[in-house]
Amino acid sequence: MRGLGHLADDERFAAAIAALGAGPARMRRFIDGYEMQGAWEALARGRHGADPDGRYKSKATPALLESVGERCARAGIGVRILGRPGYPAALASDPEAPGVLFTLGNPTFIDASPRVAIVGTRSATPYGLGVASELGRGLSGAGVVVVSGLARGIDSAGHAGVLAAIGGAPPVAVIGTALDAPSRPAEQQLQRAVADTGVVLSERAPGSAGAPVWLFAVRSRVIAALAHVVVVVECHRKGGSLNTVKCASDRAVTVAAVPGSVRSSASMGCNALLVDGAVPVRDVQDVIAAVELAIAGQSGIVPPRRPARVTPEGGLRCPVPNPISARILETLDHDPANLDTIVRRCALPLADVAVALEQLAAAGLASGAGGWWSRPGR
Amino acid sequence: MLASVPSATLHGVDGRPVAVEVHVSGGLPGFTVVGLPDAAVRESRDRVRAAVLSSALTWPKHRVTVNLAPSGRRKGGSGLDLPIAIGVLVADGSVSERDVEDTAFIGELGLDGSLRPVPGIVPMVAALTCRRVVVPVECAVEARLVGGHEVRGAAGLGQLVSALRGQGPWADTAARTTDATELPPSPDLADVRGQPVGRRALEVAAAGGHHLLLVGPPGSGKTMLATRLPGLLPPLGRDDALEVTRIHSAAGVSLAGGALAQRPPFRAPHHGATEVSLVGGGTAWLRPGEISLAHCGVLFLDELGEFPAVALDMLRQPLEEGVVRIRRARRAIDLPARFLLVGAMNPCPCGEGSVPGACRCTEAARARYARRLSAPLLDRFDLALGLGRPDVDDLLGGPPGEASAVVAERVRFARLVAATRGVRCNAEIAPQLLDELCPLSPEGAALLERRLRSGALSARGFHRIRRVARTLADLDDVGPVIGERQVAEAIHLRDARGAQAHEVPS
Repeated sequence: MRGLGHLADDERFAAAIAALGAGPARMRRFIDGYEMQGAWEALARGRHGADPDGRYKSKATPALLESVGERCARAGIGVRILGRPGYPAALASDPEAPGVLFTLGNPTFIDASPRVAIVGTRSATPYGLGVASELGRGLSGAGVVVVSGLARGIDSAGHAGVLAAIGGAPPVAVIGTALDAPSRPAEQQLQRAVADTGVVLSERAPGSAGAPVWLFAVRSRVIAALAHVVVVVECHRKGGSLNTVKCASDRAVTVAAVPGSVRSSASMGCNALLVDGAVPVRDVQDVIAAVELAIAGQSGIVPPRRPARVTPEGGLRCPVPNPISARILETLDHDPANLDTIVRRCALPLADVAVALEQLAAAGLASGAGGWWSRPGR
Repeated sequence: MLASVPSATLHGVDGRPVAVEVHVSGGLPGFTVVGLPDAAVRESRDRVRAAVLSSALTWPKHRVTVNLAPSGRRKGGSGLDLPIAIGVLVADGSVSERDVEDTAFIGELGLDGSLRPVPGIVPMVAALTCRRVVVPVECAVEARLVGGHEVRGAAGLGQLVSALRGQGPWADTAARTTDATELPPSPDLADVRGQPVGRRALEVAAAGGHHLLLVGPPGSGKTMLATRLPGLLPPLGRDDALEVTRIHSAAGVSLAGGALAQRPPFRAPHHGATEVSLVGGGTAWLRPGEISLAHCGVLFLDELGEFPAVALDMLRQPLEEGVVRIRRARRAIDLPARFLLVGAMNPCPCGEGSVPGACRCTEAARARYARRLSAPLLDRFDLALGLGRPDVDDLLGGPPGEASAVVAERVRFARLVAATRGVRCNAEIAPQLLDELCPLSPEGAALLERRLRSGALSARGFHRIRRVARTLADLDDVGPVIGERQVAEAIHLRDARGAQAHEVPS
């Protein structure tokens, strides 16, 4: 039976229970073994078995029930209840699966696809951003669903890569805030693009303001639970991505890491993971091999397509414009260097360096932002 | 029994003549000051009476009324002590009117009758039209800078009265002349090792009057570079020097050598500075702010991101117009404020954000830091430079850089070339004259077009880059047409932004 807006009655009650703001474990106890309406009414009366002190009684008002339903209807947000049809099976088997999942977009494609999580630091280097974007594009093109968190840095770069792939597998984003929470314009745009082609998931009810820090941590478990392989692209020594790694190893999900310079602070976490036995990732091929291994023996999952290996220095490069540019190109590598360093390394006047960098940039042989220059990614 | 003594008070950086009228008449002994005195002037009653008595002079046992004319205007400062005392003595008959004929007095009195210096001597003396001016002896050198008056210095009230009567000597110190003091050497660019791009940017800033933003981690030499900028600027001309001296005198800031300013001033207010201390203002006296003190020189704002946002946005209008227009309900003044702005900031709160991937700041902290500077203010910088920590080899054993004197010579030449275009420096070229004064070679134009089309350059940035390229062409002496090299260099000298540059995924 359809109730208010586009939600069914039990979905409406489930959304309202989630809006009470309880932690994931308590949330599970709220709905386990209950009909949604029964659970809500018990909570509203302060008589729920999982809430013996009636702490949620004052919150569970008819106004909340109505406002959450309205918000879902307005933003086109779907509600999936654990154990009911429509809830992603890939997640349902997880011991810590969210009791209620809010969705923007259709999640039905998730179960039959191979899935890879691309995670990493927010303060990424151009190297990390480039690799994340390349992996996203390549994996999507190979029919692999990319799961990520939509955060600034690596997460966003990975999804930007997925969206750049034509006719690839749709992306999945798991975010810590509510689906209708205000965010920066860039994030909003990306979230909309992901929702249009794939699906955005959140366990936070619409209308919940902000997100406590622990929610970002528990969100990692959803990413890890959904993925067959977790790829860490760049991560600081004690970066937040290591939390996702921990969740993944708890679930025996393969962890892979992209090696980086041993001098780059942003790669310390990744390099440490590699020492601890993570699968090294150089390119999409390495990830796909790990995925094939992870889904071997599982039925009902479409195996990834193996793309043809491309040569590292693609065939269609412009020739180096002139000898000075060639000299400057020699001093550049994939680690960005600032203008001062380049001028010092090649001992040429600034004007020569400036002209050469412009020529190299126009030829696609160098890329720069904010005065830092490097060779572009493959 | 009436006397009128000319004097002056300070209003912003201008002196205003004041006639101190004293009336001594019968009635109960008393002492009133009228004519809108502020607290310092009202208190002068007690100082003046004590000073007269301690100088072994007689205080009238009558009713004393002092009027400060024009009486409708508010008067501040302690410089009116001396004219009030002299006025009382003349009105009482202790000093004959003939002895003080055509003489103005400025100075603060101590209770013992000694004379103390007051700020603003230069503009105050300049506002006086009488033949002779008596000032505290410490201020005599400053007062003589104005020229046109017979300046006498006095050390105490008793001695001054006997000198006026012709019974004793003046306390003038003829030994202190204007050019006797040597200025301490200013920091030299040769001390800066490495930093090829920073040095070049400094030269361009000095040559074209381009505002400069330095972005770099702590210890990258931002302050070191900035303090060397005044040494590259040409010495002040006669008019500018007088103006600078007047402003500094009005603010009570002592000048090196106590004489006419010769070097462009360098002001570096701390980031705790209030809005009023930066732009000027305050109560009765309307003191010039740091931006006026930096007139014709350099205003260095270290830790730009830590300044109150309101204070920074107040710089926008003076940066455009070269004057700051201070308006209060009862008064309005325009203070000169044509300065070269050098801003220095860290790329993010932790300071490491310019090295890609090294920043450990939270997203919120970075966003907050980036919001501190309004885009219109950032837009005023023609040069924006990212600095890294200097190379260790350069620090330890690198060759010393070019000396300031060598660079200053190139700067002087470039400024001469700019002057032929009818502007003081290239940064002041009006947008409508850019096409005429800054013609681009086809290669240079193509380079800019590519940047514009890729969206990496705004229309305003386009103008600024052409002005900087003009300066580069003047420095390199390549003639009227700006080449590709200058355009490319100008683009790269404006490339730095804060940490936010690395946010955008490829």
